[in-house]
Amino acid sequence: MATATMALPGRHQATSSFEALYRSCGADLYAYVASLLHDRTAAEDVTALAFERALRKRRSFDSGRGSERAWLFGIARNAALDELRRRSRTAALLAEPPDEAVSPGDDDADRRATVRAALAALDARERELIALKFHAGLTNAEIAVVIGVGESAAGTRLHRAVTKLREACNEPS
Amino acid sequence: MSRRETTLDPAVAAELAELERALAGEPSPFTALVADVHAERPVMTPAFAAKLDARVDEARAAPPRRSWLAWSPLGGLAAALVVAVVVVSNRDGGSSPSTESSSPAGSHASSSTEDSSAKAAAPQSAAGAATSQAAPAFGSPAARKVERSTSLALSTARADVQGVADDVIATSQRFGGIVESSQIATSDAEASAVFALRIPTKRLDEAIAALSKLAHVASLSQGSTDITGSFVSASSRLGDARAERRGLLKALGRATTAQEIDALKLRLRDNRSQIAALKGELNGLRRRADLARVDVTVSGNGHKGATGGGSWTPRDAAHDALRVLEVAAGVVLVGLAGGIPIALIGALGALAARSARRRRREGALDPV
Repeated sequence: MATATMALPGRHQATSSFEALYRSCGADLYAYVASLLHDRTAAEDVTALAFERALRKRRSFDSGRGSERAWLFGIARNAALDELRRRSRTAALLAEPPDEAVSPGDDDADRRATVRAALAALDARERELIALKFHAGLTNAEIAVVIGVGESAAGTRLHRAVTKLREACNEPS
Repeated sequence: MSRRETTLDPAVAAELAELERALAGEPSPFTALVADVHAERPVMTPAFAAKLDARVDEARAAPPRRSWLAWSPLGGLAAALVVAVVVVSNRDGGSSPSTESSSPAGSHASSSTEDSSAKAAAPQSAAGAATSQAAPAFGSPAARKVERSTSLALSTARADVQGVADDVIATSQRFGGIVESSQIATSDAEASAVFALRIPTKRLDEAIAALSKLAHVASLSQGSTDITGSFVSASSRLGDARAERRGLLKALGRATTAQEIDALKLRLRDNRSQIAALKGELNGLRRRADLARVDVTVSGNGHKGATGGGSWTPRDAAHDALRVLEVAAGVVLVGLAGGIPIALIGALGALAARSARRRRREGALDPV
Protein backbone atom coordinates (compact mmCIF):
# COMPACT_ATOMS: atom_id res chain seq x y z
CA MET A 1 0.00 0.00 0.00
CA ALA A 2 1.07 3.59 -0.49
CA THR A 3 3.28 5.29 2.04
CA ALA A 4 2.15 8.87 1.62
CA THR A 5 0.88 10.46 4.75
CA MET A 6 -2.13 12.66 5.11
CA ALA A 7 -3.68 14.03 8.21
CA LEU A 8 -7.34 13.28 8.77
CA PRO A 9 -8.62 16.73 9.56
CA GLY A 10 -11.90 16.59 11.35
CA ARG A 11 -13.97 19.01 13.31
CA HIS A 12 -12.44 17.58 16.44
CA GLN A 13 -8.92 17.14 15.27
CA ALA A 14 -8.54 13.49 14.44
CA THR A 15 -5.33 12.28 15.93
CA SER A 16 -4.25 9.61 13.52
CA SER A 17 -3.42 9.95 9.91
CA PHE A 18 -5.53 8.71 7.08
CA GLU A 19 -2.58 6.62 6.01
CA ALA A 20 -2.57 4.86 9.36
CA LEU A 21 -6.29 4.29 9.11
CA TYR A 22 -5.94 2.98 5.59
CA ARG A 23 -3.13 0.64 6.56
CA SER A 24 -4.83 -0.65 9.66
CA CYS A 25 -8.27 -1.06 8.14
CA GLY A 26 -7.70 -1.96 4.50
CA ALA A 27 -7.70 -5.75 4.87
CA ASP A 28 -10.35 -5.73 7.60
CA LEU A 29 -12.63 -3.53 5.58
CA TYR A 30 -12.31 -5.75 2.55
CA ALA A 31 -13.04 -8.85 4.65
CA TYR A 32 -16.16 -7.22 6.10
CA VAL A 33 -17.44 -6.00 2.73
CA ALA A 34 -16.72 -9.33 1.04
CA SER A 35 -18.59 -11.16 3.81
CA LEU A 36 -21.53 -8.85 3.29
CA LEU A 37 -21.60 -9.03 -0.49
CA HIS A 38 -20.42 -12.60 -1.17
CA ASP A 39 -18.81 -11.27 -4.32
CA ARG A 40 -15.09 -10.58 -4.52
CA THR A 41 -15.27 -8.24 -7.50
CA ALA A 42 -18.05 -6.19 -5.99
CA ALA A 43 -16.26 -6.22 -2.64
CA GLU A 44 -13.13 -4.81 -4.26
CA ASP A 45 -15.12 -2.01 -5.89
CA VAL A 46 -17.00 -1.18 -2.71
CA THR A 47 -13.82 -1.24 -0.60
CA ALA A 48 -12.10 1.19 -2.93
CA LEU A 49 -15.23 3.33 -3.08
CA ALA A 50 -15.41 3.45 0.69
CA PHE A 51 -11.85 4.75 0.98
CA GLU A 52 -12.49 7.29 -1.74
CA ARG A 53 -15.61 8.53 0.00
CA ALA A 54 -13.80 8.65 3.31
CA LEU A 55 -11.11 10.80 1.76
CA ARG A 56 -13.64 13.12 0.20
CA LYS A 57 -15.69 13.41 3.38
CA ARG A 58 -12.80 13.43 5.83
CA ARG A 59 -13.75 16.89 7.04
CA SER A 60 -17.08 15.54 8.21
CA PHE A 61 -15.48 13.11 10.65
CA ASP A 62 -16.60 13.86 14.19
CA SER A 63 -14.59 12.09 16.88
CA GLY A 64 -17.43 12.76 19.30
CA ARG A 65 -19.59 10.28 17.41
CA GLY A 66 -17.18 7.40 17.39
CA SER A 67 -13.76 6.27 16.31
CA GLU A 68 -12.31 6.80 12.86
CA ARG A 69 -12.51 3.07 12.38
CA ALA A 70 -16.24 3.01 13.09
CA TRP A 71 -16.72 6.03 10.84
CA LEU A 72 -14.90 4.30 7.99
CA PHE A 73 -16.83 1.06 8.42
CA GLY A 74 -20.05 3.04 8.46
CA ILE A 75 -19.16 4.52 5.09
CA ALA A 76 -18.27 1.08 3.76
CA ARG A 77 -21.51 -0.37 5.11
CA ASN A 78 -23.58 2.26 3.32
CA ALA A 79 -21.74 1.60 0.08
CA ALA A 80 -22.14 -2.16 0.49
CA LEU A 81 -25.85 -1.90 1.25
CA ASP A 82 -26.32 0.35 -1.76
CA GLU A 83 -24.55 -2.27 -3.84
CA LEU A 84 -26.78 -5.01 -2.43
CA ARG A 85 -29.87 -2.98 -3.26
CA ARG A 86 -28.61 -2.29 -6.77
CA ARG A 87 -27.94 -5.96 -7.32
CA SER A 88 -31.31 -6.98 -5.93
CA ARG A 89 -32.92 -4.68 -8.48
CA THR A 90 -30.90 -5.85 -11.44
CA ALA A 91 -30.17 -9.50 -11.01
CA ALA A 92 -30.36 -12.31 -8.56
CA LEU A 93 -27.31 -12.77 -6.42
CA LEU A 94 -25.03 -15.37 -7.81
CA ALA A 95 -23.15 -16.86 -4.93
CA GLU A 96 -19.52 -17.47 -5.60
CA PRO A 97 -18.39 -21.07 -5.65
CA PRO A 98 -16.38 -22.23 -2.64
CA ASP A 99 -12.67 -21.65 -2.87
CA GLU A 100 -11.79 -25.27 -2.57
CA ALA A 101 -13.51 -28.56 -2.88
CA VAL A 102 -13.98 -30.64 0.24
CA SER A 103 -12.50 -34.06 0.01
CA PRO A 104 -14.14 -36.69 2.17
CA GLY A 105 -12.14 -37.78 5.19
CA ASP A 106 -10.24 -34.49 5.53
CA ASP A 107 -11.06 -33.28 9.09
CA ASP A 108 -9.89 -29.70 8.56
CA ALA A 109 -11.79 -29.44 5.35
CA ASP A 110 -14.87 -30.93 6.98
CA ARG A 111 -14.58 -28.46 9.79
CA ARG A 112 -14.26 -25.54 7.40
CA ALA A 113 -17.19 -26.73 5.36
CA THR A 114 -19.25 -26.92 8.53
CA VAL A 115 -18.28 -23.40 9.54
CA ARG A 116 -19.00 -22.14 6.05
CA ALA A 117 -22.40 -23.78 6.12
CA ALA A 118 -23.07 -22.37 9.57
CA LEU A 119 -22.16 -18.91 8.39
CA ALA A 120 -24.35 -19.32 5.34
CA ALA A 121 -27.22 -20.38 7.60
CA LEU A 122 -27.08 -17.08 9.47
CA ASP A 123 -29.21 -14.26 8.21
CA ALA A 124 -27.52 -11.27 6.66
CA ARG A 125 -27.61 -9.12 9.77
CA GLU A 126 -26.10 -11.85 11.91
CA ARG A 127 -23.46 -12.55 9.29
CA GLU A 128 -22.63 -8.85 9.25
CA LEU A 129 -22.13 -8.85 13.02
CA ILE A 130 -19.86 -11.88 12.80
CA ALA A 131 -17.82 -10.18 10.08
CA LEU A 132 -17.52 -6.96 12.05
CA LYS A 133 -16.41 -8.81 15.14
CA PHE A 134 -14.35 -11.71 13.81
CA HIS A 135 -12.97 -10.32 10.54
CA ALA A 136 -12.74 -6.61 11.28
CA GLY A 137 -12.05 -6.84 15.02
CA LEU A 138 -14.32 -3.94 15.95
CA THR A 139 -15.27 -3.34 19.54
CA ASN A 140 -18.90 -3.61 20.52
CA ALA A 141 -19.08 0.16 20.78
CA GLU A 142 -17.71 0.52 17.25
CA ILE A 143 -20.15 -2.08 15.96
CA ALA A 144 -22.95 -0.15 17.60
CA VAL A 145 -21.88 3.00 15.73
CA VAL A 146 -21.59 1.16 12.43
CA ILE A 147 -25.01 -0.47 12.52
CA GLY A 148 -26.66 2.46 14.26
CA VAL A 149 -27.86 0.92 17.52
CA GLY A 150 -26.92 1.27 21.15
CA GLU A 151 -23.91 -0.55 22.52
CA SER A 152 -25.98 -2.92 24.65
CA ALA A 153 -28.23 -3.76 21.72
CA ALA A 154 -25.17 -4.40 19.59
CA GLY A 155 -23.75 -6.69 22.29
CA THR A 156 -26.99 -8.57 22.62
CA ARG A 157 -27.33 -9.06 18.88
CA LEU A 158 -23.72 -10.12 18.59
CA HIS A 159 -24.13 -12.62 21.37
CA ARG A 160 -27.21 -14.03 19.67
CA ALA A 161 -25.38 -14.38 16.36
CA VAL A 162 -22.34 -15.99 17.97
CA THR A 163 -24.48 -18.43 19.89
CA LYS A 164 -26.35 -19.37 16.74
CA LEU A 165 -23.09 -19.83 14.87
CA ARG A 166 -21.59 -21.82 17.65
CA GLU A 167 -24.58 -24.12 17.80
CA ALA A 168 -24.60 -24.56 14.05
CA CYS A 169 -20.90 -25.44 14.08
CA ASN A 170 -21.38 -27.98 16.83
CA GLU A 171 -24.35 -29.66 15.23
CA PRO A 172 -23.57 -33.08 13.87
CA SER A 173 -23.43 -32.94 10.10
CA MET B 1 -26.59 7.55 20.14
CA SER B 2 -30.18 8.52 20.52
CA ARG B 3 -31.54 5.08 21.18
CA ARG B 4 -32.41 4.08 24.69
CA GLU B 5 -29.61 2.14 26.27
CA THR B 6 -30.41 -1.01 28.17
CA THR B 7 -28.13 -2.90 30.49
CA LEU B 8 -26.47 -5.93 29.01
CA ASP B 9 -27.42 -9.22 30.60
CA PRO B 10 -24.54 -10.33 32.88
CA ALA B 11 -24.43 -13.78 31.31
CA VAL B 12 -24.28 -12.26 27.85
CA ALA B 13 -21.61 -9.83 28.98
CA ALA B 14 -19.56 -12.67 30.41
CA GLU B 15 -19.74 -14.64 27.17
CA LEU B 16 -18.83 -11.61 25.15
CA ALA B 17 -15.86 -11.08 27.42
CA GLU B 18 -14.78 -14.63 26.69
CA LEU B 19 -15.17 -13.94 23.02
CA GLU B 20 -12.96 -10.87 23.36
CA ARG B 21 -10.31 -13.01 25.06
CA ALA B 22 -10.41 -15.51 22.23
CA LEU B 23 -10.10 -12.74 19.68
CA ALA B 24 -7.11 -11.44 21.63
CA GLY B 25 -5.44 -14.85 21.36
CA GLU B 26 -6.00 -15.85 24.95
CA PRO B 27 -7.42 -19.24 25.97
CA SER B 28 -11.20 -19.19 25.84
CA PRO B 29 -14.13 -21.45 25.06
CA PHE B 30 -14.45 -19.45 21.85
CA THR B 31 -10.88 -20.05 20.69
CA ALA B 32 -11.82 -22.79 18.25
CA LEU B 33 -14.76 -20.87 16.87
CA VAL B 34 -12.62 -17.79 16.36
CA ALA B 35 -10.01 -19.85 14.56
CA ASP B 36 -12.62 -21.53 12.38
CA VAL B 37 -14.32 -18.29 11.40
CA HIS B 38 -10.98 -16.60 10.87
CA ALA B 39 -10.08 -19.32 8.44
CA GLU B 40 -13.08 -18.22 6.36
CA ARG B 41 -11.96 -14.61 6.36
CA PRO B 42 -11.93 -13.16 2.82
CA VAL B 43 -8.45 -11.98 1.93
CA MET B 44 -7.68 -9.37 -0.70
CA THR B 45 -5.41 -10.44 -3.54
CA PRO B 46 -2.06 -8.68 -4.09
CA ALA B 47 -3.38 -7.40 -7.41
CA PHE B 48 -6.35 -5.77 -5.71
CA ALA B 49 -4.13 -4.39 -2.95
CA ALA B 50 -2.03 -2.63 -5.58
CA LYS B 51 -5.13 -1.41 -7.38
CA LEU B 52 -6.58 -0.12 -4.12
CA ASP B 53 -3.35 1.75 -3.40
CA ALA B 54 -3.59 3.45 -6.77
CA ARG B 55 -7.25 4.43 -6.32
CA VAL B 56 -6.66 5.76 -2.84
CA ASP B 57 -3.62 7.72 -3.98
CA GLU B 58 -5.70 9.23 -6.75
CA ALA B 59 -8.48 10.14 -4.35
CA ARG B 60 -5.95 11.57 -1.92
CA ALA B 61 -4.69 13.95 -4.58
CA ALA B 62 -8.16 15.42 -5.03
CA PRO B 63 -9.02 18.31 -2.71
CA PRO B 64 -11.62 17.57 -0.07
CA ARG B 65 -15.07 18.49 -1.21
CA ARG B 66 -16.76 21.21 0.74
CA SER B 67 -20.41 20.73 1.39
CA TRP B 68 -22.75 23.32 -0.09
CA LEU B 69 -23.99 23.89 3.43
CA ALA B 70 -20.56 25.22 4.29
CA TRP B 71 -20.98 27.96 1.70
CA SER B 72 -24.53 28.90 2.66
CA PRO B 73 -23.57 31.35 5.45
CA LEU B 74 -21.21 33.12 3.05
CA GLY B 75 -23.91 33.20 0.41
CA GLY B 76 -26.39 34.64 2.84
CA LEU B 77 -23.90 37.25 3.97
CA ALA B 78 -23.11 38.20 0.38
CA ALA B 79 -26.79 38.50 -0.45
CA ALA B 80 -27.39 40.66 2.60
CA LEU B 81 -24.47 42.89 1.64
CA VAL B 82 -25.74 43.26 -1.90
CA VAL B 83 -29.18 44.24 -0.66
CA ALA B 84 -27.67 46.64 1.86
CA VAL B 85 -25.52 48.28 -0.77
CA VAL B 86 -28.45 48.61 -3.14
CA VAL B 87 -30.69 50.07 -0.48
CA VAL B 88 -28.05 52.44 0.83
CA SER B 89 -27.12 53.57 -2.63
CA ASN B 90 -30.76 54.54 -3.01
CA ARG B 91 -30.93 55.92 0.48
CA ASP B 92 -32.61 59.05 -0.80
CA GLY B 93 -35.66 56.88 -0.60
CA GLY B 94 -35.25 56.73 3.13
CA SER B 95 -35.95 60.39 3.55
CA SER B 96 -38.95 60.07 1.27
CA PRO B 97 -38.44 62.84 -1.18
CA SER B 98 -41.48 63.21 -3.30
CA THR B 99 -41.84 64.45 -6.76
CA GLU B 100 -45.20 65.44 -7.91
CA SER B 101 -46.64 67.46 -10.65
CA SER B 102 -49.95 69.07 -10.10
CA SER B 103 -52.01 71.86 -11.36
CA PRO B 104 -54.55 73.98 -9.64
CA ALA B 105 -58.20 73.21 -9.88
CA GLY B 106 -59.63 74.16 -13.18
CA SER B 107 -56.47 73.50 -15.04
CA HIS B 108 -56.41 70.90 -17.71
CA ALA B 109 -52.97 69.71 -16.83
CA SER B 110 -52.40 67.18 -14.16
CA SER B 111 -49.82 64.49 -13.90
CA SER B 112 -48.22 62.83 -10.97
CA THR B 113 -45.16 60.67 -10.64
CA GLU B 114 -43.31 59.25 -7.69
CA ASP B 115 -39.64 58.91 -8.32
CA SER B 116 -37.28 58.85 -5.41
CA SER B 117 -34.37 59.95 -7.48
CA ALA B 118 -36.19 63.19 -8.11
CA LYS B 119 -33.55 64.35 -10.47
CA ALA B 120 -33.62 65.88 -13.88
CA ALA B 121 -35.70 63.25 -15.59
CA ALA B 122 -38.68 63.63 -13.32
CA PRO B 123 -39.26 67.30 -13.76
CA GLN B 124 -38.83 66.98 -17.45
CA SER B 125 -41.32 64.20 -17.78
CA ALA B 126 -43.73 65.80 -15.39
CA ALA B 127 -43.53 69.12 -17.10
CA GLY B 128 -43.81 67.53 -20.47
CA ALA B 129 -46.90 65.70 -19.42
CA ALA B 130 -48.37 68.81 -17.95
CA THR B 131 -47.71 70.78 -21.07
CA SER B 132 -49.07 68.18 -23.39
CA GLN B 133 -52.22 67.69 -21.37
CA ALA B 134 -52.85 71.35 -20.85
CA ALA B 135 -54.52 71.81 -24.20
CA PRO B 136 -57.10 74.54 -24.07
CA ALA B 137 -60.39 74.30 -25.85
CA PHE B 138 -59.32 76.93 -28.32
CA GLY B 139 -56.18 78.04 -30.11
CA SER B 140 -53.39 76.02 -31.64
CA PRO B 141 -50.95 74.16 -29.38
CA ALA B 142 -48.20 76.52 -30.34
CA ALA B 143 -50.26 79.49 -29.25
CA ARG B 144 -51.17 78.06 -25.89
CA LYS B 145 -50.07 79.99 -22.89
CA VAL B 146 -49.21 77.79 -19.93
CA GLU B 147 -47.98 79.09 -16.65
CA ARG B 148 -45.67 76.67 -14.91
CA SER B 149 -44.67 76.67 -11.28
CA THR B 150 -42.29 74.52 -9.34
CA SER B 151 -41.65 74.08 -5.68
CA LEU B 152 -38.33 72.49 -4.80
CA ALA B 153 -37.21 71.65 -1.28
CA LEU B 154 -33.54 70.90 -0.75
CA SER B 155 -31.93 69.68 2.41
CA THR B 156 -28.28 69.79 3.33
CA ALA B 157 -25.98 70.16 6.27
CA ARG B 158 -26.58 73.28 8.27
CA ALA B 159 -23.11 74.58 7.50
CA ASP B 160 -23.69 74.20 3.79
CA VAL B 161 -26.91 76.20 3.53
CA GLN B 162 -25.14 79.43 2.60
CA GLY B 163 -23.13 77.68 -0.08
CA VAL B 164 -26.18 76.00 -1.54
CA ALA B 165 -28.05 79.33 -1.43
CA ASP B 166 -25.28 80.97 -3.43
CA ASP B 167 -25.43 78.11 -5.90
CA VAL B 168 -29.20 78.53 -6.25
CA ILE B 169 -28.76 82.17 -7.21
CA ALA B 170 -25.91 81.40 -9.59
CA THR B 171 -27.88 78.61 -11.21
CA SER B 172 -30.90 80.82 -11.63
CA GLN B 173 -28.80 83.46 -13.34
CA ARG B 174 -27.07 80.88 -15.49
CA PHE B 175 -30.42 79.94 -17.01
CA GLY B 176 -31.48 83.54 -17.55
CA GLY B 177 -33.70 83.64 -14.49
CA ILE B 178 -34.18 86.28 -11.89
CA VAL B 179 -34.44 86.15 -8.16
CA GLU B 180 -37.71 87.79 -7.19
CA SER B 181 -37.07 87.35 -3.51
CA SER B 182 -34.69 85.57 -1.22
CA GLN B 183 -34.50 85.05 2.49
CA ILE B 184 -31.69 83.33 4.35
CA ALA B 185 -31.90 82.59 8.05
CA THR B 186 -29.19 80.92 10.12
CA SER B 187 -28.95 80.02 13.76
CA ASP B 188 -26.91 77.61 15.86
CA ALA B 189 -29.52 74.92 15.54
CA GLU B 190 -30.50 75.18 11.91
CA ALA B 191 -30.31 77.27 8.81
CA SER B 192 -32.68 77.79 5.93
CA ALA B 193 -33.05 79.77 2.77
CA VAL B 194 -36.15 80.56 0.74
CA PHE B 195 -36.10 81.81 -2.83
CA ALA B 196 -38.74 82.90 -5.29
CA LEU B 197 -37.21 82.60 -8.71
CA ARG B 198 -38.42 83.33 -12.17
CA ILE B 199 -36.87 81.06 -14.75
CA PRO B 200 -37.52 81.22 -18.48
CA THR B 201 -40.08 78.52 -19.13
CA LYS B 202 -38.13 77.19 -22.07
CA ARG B 203 -35.20 76.39 -19.81
CA LEU B 204 -37.19 75.38 -16.75
CA ASP B 205 -36.45 71.67 -16.96
CA GLU B 206 -32.72 72.24 -17.33
CA ALA B 207 -32.77 74.67 -14.45
CA ILE B 208 -34.71 72.29 -12.17
CA ALA B 209 -32.28 69.52 -13.03
CA ALA B 210 -29.36 71.76 -12.16
CA LEU B 211 -30.98 72.97 -8.94
CA SER B 212 -31.75 69.39 -7.93
CA LYS B 213 -28.09 68.58 -8.07
CA LEU B 214 -27.15 71.23 -5.55
CA ALA B 215 -28.31 69.22 -2.53
CA HIS B 216 -30.49 66.37 -1.41
CA VAL B 217 -33.95 66.75 -2.91
CA ALA B 218 -36.46 66.47 -0.11
CA SER B 219 -39.44 67.17 -2.30
CA LEU B 220 -40.28 68.46 -5.72
CA SER B 221 -43.66 69.45 -6.96
CA GLN B 222 -44.59 70.99 -10.25
CA GLY B 223 -47.77 72.52 -11.48
CA SER B 224 -49.07 74.10 -14.61
CA THR B 225 -51.98 76.38 -15.32
CA ASP B 226 -53.37 76.97 -18.73
CA ILE B 227 -53.85 80.73 -19.14
CA THR B 228 -54.57 80.68 -22.84
CA GLY B 229 -58.20 81.59 -22.24
CA SER B 230 -57.31 84.61 -20.18
CA PHE B 231 -54.71 85.62 -22.73
CA VAL B 232 -57.09 85.32 -25.68
CA SER B 233 -59.77 87.11 -23.79
CA ALA B 234 -57.47 89.98 -22.91
CA SER B 235 -56.17 90.14 -26.49
CA SER B 236 -59.69 90.23 -27.80
CA ARG B 237 -60.69 92.96 -25.42
CA LEU B 238 -57.56 94.89 -26.35
CA GLY B 239 -58.48 94.54 -30.02
CA ASP B 240 -61.96 95.78 -29.28
CA ALA B 241 -60.58 98.71 -27.29
CA ARG B 242 -58.22 99.60 -30.11
CA ALA B 243 -61.06 99.38 -32.65
CA GLU B 244 -63.13 101.59 -30.41
CA ARG B 245 -60.25 104.04 -30.20
CA ARG B 246 -60.01 104.16 -33.97
CA GLY B 247 -63.74 104.81 -34.17
CA LEU B 248 -63.59 107.47 -31.51
CA LEU B 249 -60.73 109.21 -33.32
CA LYS B 250 -62.69 109.17 -36.56
CA ALA B 251 -65.73 110.51 -34.75
CA LEU B 252 -63.61 113.19 -33.17
CA GLY B 253 -62.43 114.22 -36.64
CA ARG B 254 -65.99 114.54 -37.72
CA ALA B 255 -67.21 116.32 -34.57
CA THR B 256 -68.33 119.90 -35.05
CA THR B 257 -69.60 121.04 -31.74
CA ALA B 258 -67.58 121.66 -28.61
CA GLN B 259 -69.92 119.47 -26.61
CA GLU B 260 -69.46 116.65 -29.05
CA ILE B 261 -65.69 117.05 -28.97
CA ASP B 262 -65.55 117.09 -25.17
CA ALA B 263 -67.64 113.96 -24.93
CA LEU B 264 -65.43 112.12 -27.44
CA LYS B 265 -62.24 113.22 -25.67
CA LEU B 266 -63.65 111.90 -22.42
CA ARG B 267 -64.40 108.53 -24.01
CA LEU B 268 -60.95 108.52 -25.61
CA ARG B 269 -59.37 109.06 -22.23
CA ASP B 270 -61.32 106.15 -20.79
CA ASN B 271 -60.39 104.12 -23.82
CA ARG B 272 -56.70 104.87 -23.33
CA SER B 273 -56.93 103.76 -19.75
CA GLN B 274 -58.71 100.60 -20.82
CA ILE B 275 -56.08 99.85 -23.48
CA ALA B 276 -53.27 100.48 -21.02
CA ALA B 277 -54.90 98.19 -18.49
CA LEU B 278 -55.43 95.48 -21.08
CA LYS B 279 -51.84 95.83 -22.29
CA GLY B 280 -50.68 95.46 -18.72
CA GLU B 281 -52.90 92.45 -18.28
CA LEU B 282 -51.54 90.90 -21.46
CA ASN B 283 -47.97 91.61 -20.49
CA GLY B 284 -48.59 90.08 -17.13
CA LEU B 285 -50.04 86.97 -18.72
CA ARG B 286 -47.18 86.79 -21.20
CA ARG B 287 -44.71 87.10 -18.38
CA ARG B 288 -46.45 84.34 -16.42
CA ALA B 289 -46.20 82.10 -19.45
CA ASP B 290 -42.65 82.99 -20.32
CA LEU B 291 -41.19 82.97 -16.83
CA ALA B 292 -41.97 80.02 -14.62
CA ARG B 293 -42.17 80.55 -10.92
CA VAL B 294 -39.75 78.42 -8.97
CA ASP B 295 -39.90 78.41 -5.18
CA VAL B 296 -36.78 76.94 -3.68
CA THR B 297 -36.41 76.09 -0.03
CA VAL B 298 -33.07 75.05 1.38
CA SER B 299 -33.22 73.56 4.85
CA GLY B 300 -30.09 73.03 6.84
CA ASN B 301 -31.11 70.32 9.23
CA GLY B 302 -30.92 67.41 6.83
CA HIS B 303 -28.04 65.33 5.72
CA LYS B 304 -26.18 66.00 2.57
CA GLY B 305 -27.49 64.52 -0.57
CA ALA B 306 -25.40 62.12 -2.55
CA THR B 307 -24.94 64.78 -5.13
CA GLY B 308 -24.70 67.63 -2.77
CA GLY B 309 -21.65 69.74 -2.45
CA GLY B 310 -19.20 69.82 0.38
CA SER B 311 -17.02 67.14 1.82
CA TRP B 312 -18.00 63.81 3.30
CA THR B 313 -17.65 64.35 7.01
CA PRO B 314 -17.23 61.79 9.79
CA ARG B 315 -20.82 62.58 10.76
CA ASP B 316 -21.94 61.60 7.28
CA ALA B 317 -19.86 58.45 7.56
CA ALA B 318 -21.45 57.61 10.88
CA HIS B 319 -24.87 58.25 9.42
CA ASP B 320 -24.13 56.01 6.44
CA ALA B 321 -22.71 53.31 8.69
CA LEU B 322 -25.82 53.44 10.84
CA ARG B 323 -27.95 53.22 7.75
CA VAL B 324 -26.01 50.17 6.56
CA LEU B 325 -26.52 48.54 9.94
CA GLU B 326 -30.22 49.36 9.85
CA VAL B 327 -30.57 47.85 6.42
CA ALA B 328 -28.49 44.82 7.34
CA ALA B 329 -30.59 44.28 10.43
CA GLY B 330 -33.71 44.58 8.32
CA VAL B 331 -32.38 42.10 5.81
CA VAL B 332 -31.49 39.69 8.60
CA LEU B 333 -34.94 40.08 10.16
CA VAL B 334 -36.71 39.52 6.86
CA GLY B 335 -34.40 36.64 6.12
CA LEU B 336 -35.10 35.07 9.48
CA ALA B 337 -38.83 35.60 9.19
CA GLY B 338 -38.93 33.89 5.85
CA GLY B 339 -35.98 31.62 6.27
CA ILE B 340 -36.69 29.94 9.59
CA PRO B 341 -39.90 28.20 8.50
CA ILE B 342 -38.29 27.21 5.22
CA ALA B 343 -35.21 25.96 7.05
CA LEU B 344 -37.39 23.99 9.46
CA ILE B 345 -39.35 22.42 6.64
CA GLY B 346 -36.12 21.69 4.81
CA ALA B 347 -34.57 20.16 7.91
CA LEU B 348 -37.62 17.99 8.49
CA GLY B 349 -37.56 16.96 4.85
CA ALA B 350 -33.87 16.17 5.05
CA LEU B 351 -34.42 14.12 8.20
CA ALA B 352 -37.30 12.25 6.59
CA ALA B 353 -35.26 11.61 3.45
CA ARG B 354 -32.32 10.44 5.52
CA SER B 355 -34.52 8.14 7.53
CA ALA B 356 -36.13 6.74 4.39
CA ARG B 357 -32.73 6.19 2.80
CA ARG B 358 -31.54 4.42 5.91
CA ARG B 359 -34.60 2.18 5.93
CA ARG B 360 -34.08 1.33 2.27
CA ARG B 361 -30.45 0.48 2.94
CA GLU B 362 -31.29 -1.65 5.93
CA GLY B 363 -33.86 -3.39 3.79
CA ALA B 364 -31.04 -4.78 1.70
CA LEU B 365 -30.16 -7.04 4.63
CA ASP B 366 -33.68 -8.33 5.04
CA PRO B 367 -34.44 -11.78 3.66
CA VAL B 368 -36.04 -11.63 0.22
